[in-house]
Amino acid sequence: MSIVTLHQNNAFHNDPKFGRLLLVSLLVHGLIWVAFSGSWFGTSSRPKPPVYYVDLVHKPVINPQAGRPDPRPTKKPKAAVAKRTVPAALPKVVKKPVKPAVKPLVKRTQVVKPKPVPKPVVKPDQRKQKKIQSALDEIRERQARQAERDALKDKLAKLRDSVGAAAMIPADVPVGMPDGTGDEVGINALLFVQTFIQQNWALSPYLLDQSRIANLEARATLRYSKAGKLVSYRVDQLSGNKQFDNSLKRAIIKSQQLPQVLPKDLDLVVVFNLKDMAAAR
Amino acid sequence: MLLRWFMVFLFCGLLPWSVMAATEIEISSPGEQSIPLALTNLLPKESSPSTRVAGEFNEVLLADLDLSGLFRFIAPAAFLDDAGNIGLYSTQVDFPQWRMLGSETLIKGTYSLNGDQLIVEARLFDVVNRRLLTGRRYSGGPKDIRRMAHAFADLVLKELTGEEGPFSARIAYISNLTGDKELWLMDVDGKRPLRLTNHRSIVLNPDFSPRGKEILFTSYRANNPDLYRKEIYTGKEAKISYKSGLNIAGRMAPNSREIALTLSKDGNPEIYLIGVNGRIRKRITDNWGIDSDPTWSPDGGRLAFVSNRQGNPHIFIADIFTGKTSRLTTRGKYNATPAWSPKGDRIVFSRQQGGRFDLYSINVDGTDERRLTFGPGNNEHPRWSPDGRFLVYSSDKGGNRAIYVMRADGTGSRRLTNLESDCRHPAWSPRW
Repeated sequence: MSIVTLHQNNAFHNDPKFGRLLLVSLLVHGLIWVAFSGSWFGTSSRPKPPVYYVDLVHKPVINPQAGRPDPRPTKKPKAAVAKRTVPAALPKVVKKPVKPAVKPLVKRTQVVKPKPVPKPVVKPDQRKQKKIQSALDEIRERQARQAERDALKDKLAKLRDSVGAAAMIPADVPVGMPDGTGDEVGINALLFVQTFIQQNWALSPYLLDQSRIANLEARATLRYSKAGKLVSYRVDQLSGNKQFDNSLKRAIIKSQQLPQVLPKDLDLVVVFNLKDMAAAR
Repeated sequence: MLLRWFMVFLFCGLLPWSVMAATEIEISSPGEQSIPLALTNLLPKESSPSTRVAGEFNEVLLADLDLSGLFRFIAPAAFLDDAGNIGLYSTQVDFPQWRMLGSETLIKGTYSLNGDQLIVEARLFDVVNRRLLTGRRYSGGPKDIRRMAHAFADLVLKELTGEEGPFSARIAYISNLTGDKELWLMDVDGKRPLRLTNHRSIVLNPDFSPRGKEILFTSYRANNPDLYRKEIYTGKEAKISYKSGLNIAGRMAPNSREIALTLSKDGNPEIYLIGVNGRIRKRITDNWGIDSDPTWSPDGGRLAFVSNRQGNPHIFIADIFTGKTSRLTTRGKYNATPAWSPKGDRIVFSRQQGGRFDLYSINVDGTDERRLTFGPGNNEHPRWSPDGRFLVYSSDKGGNRAIYVMRADGTGSRRLTNLESDCRHPAWSPRW
């Protein structure tokens, strides 16, 4: 059977019409290609290729190394010419010893002591005293308030210092996470997804009964593909509060495409609650 | 057989691993504590456009929704062509366009004005889920445009929070605009003020009946502080309590059958319960101190009031049935004008501290006391909105005393009345 076919094929190849037929076939194929690739049927329905905005500095990884999550270029130290030189030590001014002024000797003479004149006894005016007392109270209150304000300022300054110290990490520290223990350059993929969903979660505290905020909790299972697309999601446990549940569903829908690709497919159980909001009340 | 057992073993071994593979993350607060809302202008439909109608509706709705604190408004300058699209069906709205602007909710509407006939249609959409949340068609005259906007604001709040807003209600207050302290009524945004009394005397302490159709107030019209009742729609007025001495701070019970008030017929001001006909039914307090300013709990079982029985004026709570009284506030030297929240959980009051009054709120069990107002001026006479979300109060922080409104947590304060006259003693009506 196979021999016959080969033989037939060979016979076909030897046919002088074969070349013409091949040409016709190529032409027809070409026409079809032109017809479909051209704008005859409109190009708007053609799916656009997906575009991924990949931030290579904040690349989400599974095991981030230790480093800084937000690298900032530090200012290079300016040339020495621009620097103001400060003398190492100022010359000390030697003070000349000052001679004590000689006191003129005064002869002792008998001094007649004046008789003490009885001072008029001023009766304490109760109104004045009250006024003074109230003014004193006010001053004390103001002082207390000032002290409180100073304490707060100190606290704020300390916080600023600590934040400033964190920001002053030199630029050559590798990109990673402050608590990273792995060996991959980038940021924690889980934290990245968590932050993205949180940013998309909009919920006003005025929507909720303030006394029940602390008890609201819902759980959802999310599956992200490596391309950062939400493949599926399932809300496993609702809080029972319509506003809260709707808001987290909206957050999940808004997070259906991550702005970055992931190192691998991710299966997540996301617990939504308002512990921080309740604590801030 | 052996292979089958091996497969079962493998399956059982891998199952828990696959379950555990899903990593758990916790999100303990939303990234944005407000709902992004795109509020578009009303568009004319089959009629000549009226910029006043569209502008006024938008202005009122924006002010109401802004006071609610629920929303972050998308800047109208960023709106794209769908803002000019008249279609109000969810299939006609270009949701991706609104989502691109970061909006989660969208309000669109149309109006048609034919002579004195105005029809407004407004819709609230969920941009993320691409669906209509709620909508209404209002019919009336051009003068009703503010009421329509207030009603739609109430509806938006009901759809999003499950509880209707208080914007269609009214606020009663005392003003000396005419030279005498008279009773006035205005919209929740301070517009459309209307004088209700012409006593040419001193009118004080207004309070609405639970149905909102009547107002109780005290007037010195007969040279004695007597308690009056006025029907809002008919304008009929009746003197209810006119015993010698004080007949002040009348507050109608939630069942509308009794009135708690302060009487000093026996010399010392005490709290009494009287019927709507003015007959005394029960004496609530019996003490050497001054007892005044009663306010009902929503269930009608308790009264909070001010008393100086233990020295300085403090807030006390009395059980109507047992007569048992307990002290609520312990801090401060002068606590006054309590108002029980419609939800029953908190009491707001004013406290004098550092020579001026500020507003505070406290749980009914005396815990979680919070200061609500700060800054200059005296803030007094707080009253709750019918949904318990807002407070109306009087303050002289702007110079003259005026009526202000703010959220129950003390944020979003705004002035309602102008500073031309002295306005005080506000009371928020129930929903009309």
